[in-house]
Amino acid sequence: MLQERVQNSDAEQPSGSTPLIALRAVSRLYDGGAIAALTNVDLAIEAGDCVAVVGASGSGKSTLVNLLCGIDFPSAGTVMWEGKAVRTQREWARLRRARIGIVFQEFNLIPTLTALENVELALFGRGLSAVRRQTRAAILLERVGLEARMHNLVTTLSGGERQRVAIARAVANEPRLLLADEPTGNLDSASAAIVTDLLFKLREDRDMTIVLVTHDDALAARCARRVRIKDGWIVENVYPTSVAPSIVSEAAS
Amino acid sequence: MNLAGLARRNLGRRPIRTSLSILGIGLAVGSALALMSLSHSIQDGMREGINEMGDDLVVMQKGASDIFGGFIPEKTIERVAGIPGVARASGELFMFAPSADDKSVLAQGWSDTSYLWKKVPLREGRVPAPGEHNVAVLGDAASAALGKKLGDDVVILGERFKIIGIANYTTAVNRGVALLPLADLQKISHRPEQVTMVHLNVERGGAPVELKQVKSAIELLGSLSASTANEMLDQDRNFAILDAVSLAISIIAIVMGAIYVLNALVMATQERTREIGIFTAIGWSRQRIMASIVVEGILMCIIGCVLGVALSFLAALAFPYIPAIGHLVSFRPSIRLIVLVLITAFVLCVLGSLFPAWRAVRMLPAEALRRL
Repeated sequence: MLQERVQNSDAEQPSGSTPLIALRAVSRLYDGGAIAALTNVDLAIEAGDCVAVVGASGSGKSTLVNLLCGIDFPSAGTVMWEGKAVRTQREWARLRRARIGIVFQEFNLIPTLTALENVELALFGRGLSAVRRQTRAAILLERVGLEARMHNLVTTLSGGERQRVAIARAVANEPRLLLADEPTGNLDSASAAIVTDLLFKLREDRDMTIVLVTHDDALAARCARRVRIKDGWIVENVYPTSVAPSIVSEAAS
Repeated sequence: MNLAGLARRNLGRRPIRTSLSILGIGLAVGSALALMSLSHSIQDGMREGINEMGDDLVVMQKGASDIFGGFIPEKTIERVAGIPGVARASGELFMFAPSADDKSVLAQGWSDTSYLWKKVPLREGRVPAPGEHNVAVLGDAASAALGKKLGDDVVILGERFKIIGIANYTTAVNRGVALLPLADLQKISHRPEQVTMVHLNVERGGAPVELKQVKSAIELLGSLSASTANEMLDQDRNFAILDAVSLAISIIAIVMGAIYVLNALVMATQERTREIGIFTAIGWSRQRIMASIVVEGILMCIIGCVLGVALSFLAALAFPYIPAIGHLVSFRPSIRLIVLVLITAFVLCVLGSLFPAWRAVRMLPAEALRRL
């Protein structure tokens, strides 16, 4: 089978600085090696990058995001945060608590809690008092336009509203890296537009690095960099609007 | 919101399961408390009953396994009474004796000349006259339990006795007695010229020195032991067995309660695997996630323990209806016992909730998030 594979280092804009996060020769195998979700992936993401990860369903996009935030672990290879290998659950938990925010397609909110309480959850472990947690969560919900619904149970909110709660929760700790796994995948087009605008506005306001997994070409086009995955391989890694892509094709079986 | 608030929400989300788990803990705590209290109440009641008689020492057959098991020849009483320092002594034949309708009374036989007759706190009627036979004085609780009043006949060990007096003792055990002439009780129980114990008072109000001397002198008579009420009951094998059985059943009840909590929390945690994945994904440490699950267990435990204590008091209302001994028992759980049972329950609940918590945080977050 022919595969196109990209040498990631070739695709990156020259910066000379240490990447914010990087995968080094990372593979992720399931079922004792029978299924390869990702194979020998090298990917470096610089601070301030806006990366769209595209590809067909089952290509390995979500696995890539899971590895980038440490909720999954590579079968081989290393994930580096600011040049240091991150290996333990404890290290990853610390990063997710302060440096990495995640937005899921399925929202992943706690159904028994209100919008405010869901955002507040992300502020636990930061040494804040309950009042300060609440105040901060309320401000975040105001920013995503949910001030009127912050005391509603999340189960009573629309899909778009839930995703905005999830975004508020993801940015609660002012992360440097925001990972969004198909954030508009479960939304109607109007809600999707609101959520997309919100994500990019937050990125601009906070100068966050963003990695966006999407099927939506229009959404992907808003990112400066595009990474395409196919069958667990990175087959494209380009800055379509700035630097010419450097794509290496090679045969792989 | 804090961890307790979060735990409250989670428990409220599954009201039936939460209620059943709390009920399970409550039943375990309640039954342990009721059983152990019952055992202690029987012992304490017996102790107070003997103390109410005003004894300084109780003489029993050496090696008698329990309070009912001694056999002392009646003529020995005179030898005991003759020991220097002994103010007065009275033999007593003491036994559980069946009456009508499957009810039993604590039958006590005293000789015509016993000083104990003079100390009976009569509510109505009189005590037997010297040489009078087939008459009885009932404690008020025995009278009520048997449904008999002054002038009625009562059947004890198949023999008919006329009730000539009702006594108003204050302790539960003595309120359940049937006081009979010693000769009558010896006859119907086939223990001629025997008593089970000798009550005695020591001169100078039972001062420790006199007590020690009298005890030594009694033991020199051979085959006899003298002890205070407390010492006697502490050596009673029946009570030791009762204690052991109560403890065993209580441990089983508490362990069952803990397993119930463990099961409830394992199931609840399994159902919440995805939620635990969410907590991990937003950066919660393993310790915090475990703490949130343990807090749930503790909340259930606290409510269950309160329920258990209430249930044990409710169960106590049924104690008077226990066949044979109901009217002899007063339920008095001590603070010490309640604290002991609650601490045990609490420790087991915490251990029971640590296991599912530990199990939950071991899972890879991405895998947990894939769960429905």
